[in-house]
Amino acid sequence: MDTLLSFRPLFDLFLIHLGFAYSQYIVLRAGAFSIGNVGLSAIGAYTAAILTVNYGLPLPVTLLAGALAGLAFGTLLAIPLARLRGVYQAIASLAFVQIVLSANLYAENVTGGAMGFSGIPKLVGTGTLLVFALGTIYVMLAISRSRLGRAFDAVREDEGMAVSLGINAARTQAIAYMISGLLAGLFGSLEALHSYAVEPNQFGFHLIIVILSYVVLGGRRSVWGPLVGVALLIALPEISRPLADARIMIYGLILMVVMNFMPRGIVDTLVARRARRRSRAANPEVRQAEVKG
Amino acid sequence: MTDLVLENVHKNFGGVVASNDVSMRVPAGRITGLIGPNGAGKTTLINLITGMLSLSSGKVLFGGHDISAEPADRVARAGMGRTFQNIRLQKEASVLANVMIGFHRHETCSLIAAILGLPSSRREDALLRQKAMALLGRFGMAGDADSPAGSLAYGHQRKVEMMRALATDPDLILLDEPVAGMNDVEALQLGRIFRELADEGKAILLIEHNMRFVQELCDHVYVLDGGRLIAEGTPRDVVADPAVITAYLGEE
Repeated sequence: MDTLLSFRPLFDLFLIHLGFAYSQYIVLRAGAFSIGNVGLSAIGAYTAAILTVNYGLPLPVTLLAGALAGLAFGTLLAIPLARLRGVYQAIASLAFVQIVLSANLYAENVTGGAMGFSGIPKLVGTGTLLVFALGTIYVMLAISRSRLGRAFDAVREDEGMAVSLGINAARTQAIAYMISGLLAGLFGSLEALHSYAVEPNQFGFHLIIVILSYVVLGGRRSVWGPLVGVALLIALPEISRPLADARIMIYGLILMVVMNFMPRGIVDTLVARRARRRSRAANPEVRQAEVKG
Repeated sequence: MTDLVLENVHKNFGGVVASNDVSMRVPAGRITGLIGPNGAGKTTLINLITGMLSLSSGKVLFGGHDISAEPADRVARAGMGRTFQNIRLQKEASVLANVMIGFHRHETCSLIAAILGLPSSRREDALLRQKAMALLGRFGMAGDADSPAGSLAYGHQRKVEMMRALATDPDLILLDEPVAGMNDVEALQLGRIFRELADEGKAILLIEHNMRFVQELCDHVYVLDGGRLIAEGTPRDVVADPAVITAYLGEE
């Protein structure tokens, strides 16, 4: 039992980062290369922290406020990003993360500046985190099987094709930004109310790399991709203790290796392999066509 | 009836005129052909009609409404379906998924229902799956439903594009070289489906290189060369037209 309990902080971290990973996954799934979700998590975290400490609002209200703040800024972020594509979207969203980070540093009387915002009561435990993580997975699965998931896939694969089928690409991606913002804000709030303190640099470049690693390693298409990515990368430094100090370096290495040899991530690669094998078994002539083609 | 009418459609990219004062009519219930040598501007014209490119001048009327300035997704929702000359599919997704996306403009369940997986969203998903399977059956591809679209032979990929376009239930279908890469048997089979669609009251604009296919299928043919219409009429008249022969084979 003691050993199990000692893994609890790790499990909490896993659940929070799972939420962060899905807030990243949902924009990538819709073909938007935004990493703005990290900034939105910061907004959610500070909103929840300030409302709890300064105004004494109860947990459900602060969580809702954090999530809605993420949603609101996610919606705003969608407007300039809708005009950009690919790497330009990524750069603009990185700028957004920097803006939030700087704002939290400079607005010292509200956010506590570089010292961070501390004295937050720990209102969120493993149970709450688990409920929200499971809820998030359920919503991701529901979206996957709905018109929204189909529209996301179409816009990501080929925007011109999607548009020729009557899909409004900008609106579809805006919906992805809003869902991403809601998740980022919510799990940012959970993080703040779980860890006693928040500080601006916590939501910076380091977290961007960590979250991207989860989604790139696990996969960007299947709902199970981020889950596998987070589980592996959180477990890895624990399995081999010496690796823990070099965590971010290992993540970087894994990113480079995976992009080269498994560009679609673990889960998506396995899913594609299985689909191909099944279709070959069902349709021997397809194989001939492939060989010929 | 939803006819498509082009009035003096003009497009230039800088000094290059890609579409020169083109006027034509694609009536409902008919198969209209558009032929011309490579580089004649056929695909450019399709892109102008569907809103993928903007017109320099002229008008595109669809069912009496001026759609010249509408963005492509609104044109599609107005009832225009198309296939692409260079096949554009979600290659790793299943054939079924590729066809299902075509139903997008008819999906009615709310965004909240989709996000929360409410029964209305699940019912719609099941219904569309059925409708997509029915389309696959019509094209003789029910056995390929779960195959990744990219693993199919070229001719089959074209069929998937056509099923996807049909799933939008368009009033006008623009087919950009639909039987390229198919043998005569497959082409004939598709021709029969096109005829059925026209008989149902849809307007069809067929871009094709295969002259035999055009002659068998089209009621009326337009010939494009260098962005300009050089001839129109029944397929028989058009192939006998000296200007058309010159455009295709060069001068004597």
